[in-house]
Amino acid sequence: MAEDREILKEIWEGKIPVCFELANEEIYTVEHPDPFFLLVPRLSYFPLVTDKVFKHMIKYVDPDNHSEMWLEYEGQPLRWHYPIGVLFDLYGHQSELPWKLTVHFQNFPEDELLHCPNKDAVESHFMSVLKEADALKHRGQAINSMQRKDHKTLWSGLMNDKFDQFWSVNKKLMENSGEEAFKYIPFRIYLTSKSSEHVVIQKLVKPSEDTGENVTLRHLLDVAVPDLSEKGELDKYHVVTQGIEPLLETPAVWMSEHLSYPDNFLHICLIPRVENES
Amino acid sequence: MSEKEERDNESDVSTPTLAAAEAAESDSKTTSESPKLPSSPVVKQKSNSKVDILLKPAGDAPIMKKKKWTVERSRKIAGVAEFIKKFIKMEPSESLFLYVNQSFAPSPDTEIGSIFDCFGSDGKLVLHYCRTQAWG
Repeated sequence: MAEDREILKEIWEGKIPVCFELANEEIYTVEHPDPFFLLVPRLSYFPLVTDKVFKHMIKYVDPDNHSEMWLEYEGQPLRWHYPIGVLFDLYGHQSELPWKLTVHFQNFPEDELLHCPNKDAVESHFMSVLKEADALKHRGQAINSMQRKDHKTLWSGLMNDKFDQFWSVNKKLMENSGEEAFKYIPFRIYLTSKSSEHVVIQKLVKPSEDTGENVTLRHLLDVAVPDLSEKGELDKYHVVTQGIEPLLETPAVWMSEHLSYPDNFLHICLIPRVENES
Repeated sequence: MSEKEERDNESDVSTPTLAAAEAAESDSKTTSESPKLPSSPVVKQKSNSKVDILLKPAGDAPIMKKKKWTVERSRKIAGVAEFIKKFIKMEPSESLFLYVNQSFAPSPDTEIGSIFDCFGSDGKLVLHYCRTQAWG
């Protein structure tokens, strides 16, 4: 358990340096804003950490012509409801650091992004994904047996970057023995194509085979992206989660317990390898 | 009737598709406001590219006469919500929440196919719709 805690803590402390710049065409004032730098937790969500970015940038845009703030990386609008680490693994994996993002207040891409009116929207999204994860692991029994204050503890632990507070409750959701053993592994695969569009894949995968053998990451991918694994094309992809490329022999259940995001899902990105890349 | 028979009866050819219902509607109305749902480019004309969903009201949401619909796997939750709103004559500005397992609300950009794979049973996916946040 001591070793587990070290890994969980390491994952929790993963951070990404980000440089925010206001979109050039949206600068309304004579003076141009300085870029804004932040070290953001991988496990958090952009709307929870960008209050200061908003305050810094809003002074430079047309006060009569702006809407909700949204972020973009190299033409790709960033979905606020994905954890920051997932967005970075998906789009910024090969980017230099700091990760350079563009801040927008105009032309909200309605087709691609959901609106985020306030932090309550992030909370209700987060809780919903958490419930879905528990529906897969424990038929929802772990989360339903909690009190409302436990839910609040999880949320404020995440929002305020308090590891011990979050895990004091999350450990019940991660219970994996006897009656409470995981039924299925909550995971989402983000399969990116060359055009940088991606599809999200979610399937039912049990932690172990009927033979009692642990299901590995490779097995999980066999189920989730059968086309790729049948054609032997998996090695054309980086399999990335939490910024690392785990061995395909890693047991999926170990990953679920140690590498899941706070929403209790494994978010695994498949990024095409660039030609000539070793 | 056994579950098997019930399933077979339900999957007869007469199950209406959302797409057909929407097409019929846009034929009968000439307004340009009907939201055309862009069909995803990944949709293939395969027999397994569609799944059956069962729509049930929760709270004070009105009942739909037709509960069972066939939808493309690539259809998003938001698309199904838009369809229900039109069907039960809600204003586009009103919100509608869709729940799985009467417990969680998938985000609007979630594809029906993946929810069906994880939470469908007996060949169909039950979705509860509600005008206020019913669960959670």
